Amino acid sequence: MQYSQKVLDHFMKPHNVGEIKDADAVATEGSPACGDQVTVYLKINKDTKIIEDIKFKSYGCASNIATGSMITDMAMGKSIDEALKITWRDAMEELDGLPPTKAHCSVLAADTLHEAIKNYQIEHGIREVADFSKETIVAELKHIIYPQVGEDIVTLKMVKYVGFNAGVAIIDIEIPSFDKYRDNVAEEIREHLAKYSQITDLQINM
Amino acid sequence: MEQKRIYLDNCVTTKPDPQIFEVMKEYWENEYWFPATFFTAGEEINSKLDNFKATLGKTINAKPDEIHFTRGGTSANNIAIKGILMANSQKGTHIICSVVDYPDILTNYAFFEKSGFTVTYLQPDEDGVVSAQKLKDAIRPDTILFSTTWVNHVVGTIQPVDEYAKVLQEADHRVFLHVDAGQAYGKFPMDMNHTGIDTMSVSAHKIHGPQGVGFLYKRTKTPLAQVVHGVNRVDNLETGGMNIGSLAGFAKAAELTFADLAATTKKLRDSSNYLLERIMNEIPDVELNGAAGEGRACHNINVSIDYIEGEAMGMMLDLNGVTAATGSACASQGLKPSYVLMAMGRNHMQSHGSMKFTVSKFTTKEELDFTVDKLKEIVIELRRRSPLYQEKKDK
Repeated sequence: MQYSQKVLDHFMKPHNVGEIKDADAVATEGSPACGDQVTVYLKINKDTKIIEDIKFKSYGCASNIATGSMITDMAMGKSIDEALKITWRDAMEELDGLPPTKAHCSVLAADTLHEAIKNYQIEHGIREVADFSKETIVAELKHIIYPQVGEDIVTLKMVKYVGFNAGVAIIDIEIPSFDKYRDNVAEEIREHLAKYSQITDLQINM
Repeated sequence: MEQKRIYLDNCVTTKPDPQIFEVMKEYWENEYWFPATFFTAGEEINSKLDNFKATLGKTINAKPDEIHFTRGGTSANNIAIKGILMANSQKGTHIICSVVDYPDILTNYAFFEKSGFTVTYLQPDEDGVVSAQKLKDAIRPDTILFSTTWVNHVVGTIQPVDEYAKVLQEADHRVFLHVDAGQAYGKFPMDMNHTGIDTMSVSAHKIHGPQGVGFLYKRTKTPLAQVVHGVNRVDNLETGGMNIGSLAGFAKAAELTFADLAATTKKLRDSSNYLLERIMNEIPDVELNGAAGEGRACHNINVSIDYIEGEAMGMMLDLNGVTAATGSACASQGLKPSYVLMAMGRNHMQSHGSMKFTVSKFTTKEELDFTVDKLKEIVIELRRRSPLYQEKKDK
């Protein structure tokens, strides 16, 4: 079995599954096309900014469900600032690790949690909508995992060039033509950047 | 007592029939020699191998010398495709297959494409059928080979091989026909005397024989270049030593399968129909993938279960002691959804949410009942967790 006992426990009996009807913040990341989608609902105390309730729903594989369960456990009772500091690596470690091909599940769970909190902060004037730039693209690329080793493509120095000018984003990735994850990496990049209307033309060179 | 594992992934491999072990044991314990024509020991093995060839040949109405032992189905596919192309490349370099073929064919074709061959990949219809008309339209003056997967390895759809043969026979020049019969052998009658098949690959472990051996049927007059070089011990196409005991087990397994093929396949058909019926009647929002009824192989059921993901379903079944397969990207090597289902026009959700159950002669009704009962619980639970199912309910 490639999964740890903790992953299996959280998969078979996940915590915090469900929705919060009057949630203060919601975020959905991923899509059926990618094979995984997570929605996180938050109930936040407006004075203390403590996460008083958190629920999630997951369309995805066993590790996707397990990371959703784990990250919601980790965020429950924390302030939103503390919850923003929970990384995908933290969630993965708490689960006693994930197979490298499944590390992106942890990224998705952490991203969804962070996105929900950021939505809340923007709505309540605590955070400004960030300007879009080349750095935004690089930040997104840090959330894309190379499944062979379970590490992000920026840390692995697979990203050779990022450019953004007048709606055109150009990304050069170093990955061999015979690599079985080549299509997957390209698909993930497109998926992650699809939400930015500022990008009208995305060119990925491999 | 621990529950016995329910194995419903019989298109990958099957449980060896206990009757083959006695036969095989003799070759491992006593008659462990390789064939030869001079010494007694080798001669004996020679004549045994001839008997195995006769037994296997009879199952498809082929001559014994048209049966070439190989180290499995993949080896047979390699020997045939590479052998035909290397023997005929001076006549043309255009080859045809379909996008839904077995990886053995697709990877061989990709190799030749890189080496300068031109490939036409035919598209299937929504049931996974590749029509003979599409083949006819794709043939060019330089076409030398068409390869097909008789029974699709994912959805079980049976391809119209007789119609392909007719199209190729009517072509104005020689186009060879190679068939991967990994999923087809032992699932319906085959008569090599009445097909235009040039080469066909068969694997022993798909019919309750041992793993690691198979055969290549090669029509007597079909020329093949030798692609596996070395000493000719057992076969001139698959050179080197080979597991003789396993070949004996293969012949025995074939004998058992074909002793009453109609009864064998009826049992498989009844089992898979029963499973399909229960799934379709008792689980909402499910679609059958592949051809219905007689258009699909008797052992294969492939369904898409909407709003949930296949790896999670497969994992829950696994933890409940049931082995089945899924076309989900999360369970694949390259993290891609099933290329077969996508080519048939299934959407991402249907491909990620596909489950394949393949039965064998050892599958019992109790096992199928247990599987469906568990699957029903799993689907309800995973849909409770699914945001896509939530969206559907909210609509």
